[in-house]
Amino acid sequence: MPLTLEIVTPEAQVYSDTIDTVVIPTVQGEIGILPGHIPLLTQIEDGELRVTKNGQTQLLVIGGGFAEVEGDHVHILAEHAVNEDTIDEAAVEEALRRAEAQLKEAAGLDPNEFEHLQGMVRFAGVQLAIKRRSR
Amino acid sequence: MASTRDIRRRIKSVKNTRQITKAMELVAASKMKKAQQLALAGRPYAELMSKMLAALADRVEESQHPFLTQRPVKTRGILVITTDKGLAGPLNANVLKLVTEVKTPAKFYAIGRKGAQFLARTKRDMVADFTVSDRAAFSEVKPVVEFMMQQYLDGVIDTIEVIYPRFKNTLVQLPVVRPVLPLKNVQEFVAQAEADVGGAAQPSTDTREMLFEPSATQVLEALLPFYVNRHIYQLVLSAKASEHSARMVAMKTAKDNATKLLSDLTLEYNKARQAGITAEILEIAAAQFAAS
Repeated sequence: MPLTLEIVTPEAQVYSDTIDTVVIPTVQGEIGILPGHIPLLTQIEDGELRVTKNGQTQLLVIGGGFAEVEGDHVHILAEHAVNEDTIDEAAVEEALRRAEAQLKEAAGLDPNEFEHLQGMVRFAGVQLAIKRRSR
Repeated sequence: MASTRDIRRRIKSVKNTRQITKAMELVAASKMKKAQQLALAGRPYAELMSKMLAALADRVEESQHPFLTQRPVKTRGILVITTDKGLAGPLNANVLKLVTEVKTPAKFYAIGRKGAQFLARTKRDMVADFTVSDRAAFSEVKPVVEFMMQQYLDGVIDTIEVIYPRFKNTLVQLPVVRPVLPLKNVQEFVAQAEADVGGAAQPSTDTREMLFEPSATQVLEALLPFYVNRHIYQLVLSAKASEHSARMVAMKTAKDNATKLLSDLTLEYNKARQAGITAEILEIAAAQFAAS
């Protein structure tokens, strides 16, 4: 019995497919989900998500959110999610610099804006780390 | 028959009106595109989250979190989302009609000036009003939601509901009352919404107890406020998309009307002008006839 994995972000539905296993980065470390997993609700941390389908492993970088396992459905709500192949290192570096510059300006201004920028910086950092490691 | 000069003056003013409505239509159209994209892109996220939460409400003990507990409703907390500016056709009127249908005691919160003005005028219990710019950033909506959640936790209000124009497509925006808290209400709403679309709500088949990592309290503590924030943000996006769509349609109608009026007036003007010329020729001819 295969699992159905669904990943959605506020911008789009990133992934929807039947898969064999998935490894989710949670605040308490990685959790591997196999078919028949007990119902689970957990908090996701920025990191890499490994999806295995027919022996092929696919890497996605996801940032912050929640995951729910129920029956043979895995639902993931993430702030961001990108496929590892599509990460453009230069663009991410650029985004990281921009966000850091804004962060310096925004310090002590609007706490909500600040939080948002911090999230962006963190996510960009994780993307870079994973992209570089996989080379 | 009106004099040609009067008609000319009217033609000029109608032309001006048409120019303005046309410009507004174009502006609304470009804003609409962006707003619609945002609203539609975020919909799967919001819907999945609602579903997830609805399932969750089944599985956890009520006492674990105040957002899950259903308490006797003394005062409803209702957030009314309207536009800041008018000229959006019947959009605001439809939303505010739903407000007048609220008969039970309620406290109101407003996003958008039109709604705030209405609540003040009809002397309803309005606690706070907020403005959200056209950009509708998440950080603009968050203070509103945090404020309402605080009031909910303090027991000032016993529900959180949102009245907003739900964006269906460019021509149709349906005002709806959407329950947000407590979650039991959401469950009913989701089931109903799914029944409306035709897909039967499938009760979860997995009856094993749910596991929380790291712990139930910790996850719920993070997830529930996050849900309320995200959810209401999505509703604001939907309302923005509705606003620009309604405005564009209203402006298009106004422009078409102006064009029609203009062609009627031009016809009348030409008739009047022709009548004047005919009368003049008659006069000259009559004078010549008399002189000869």
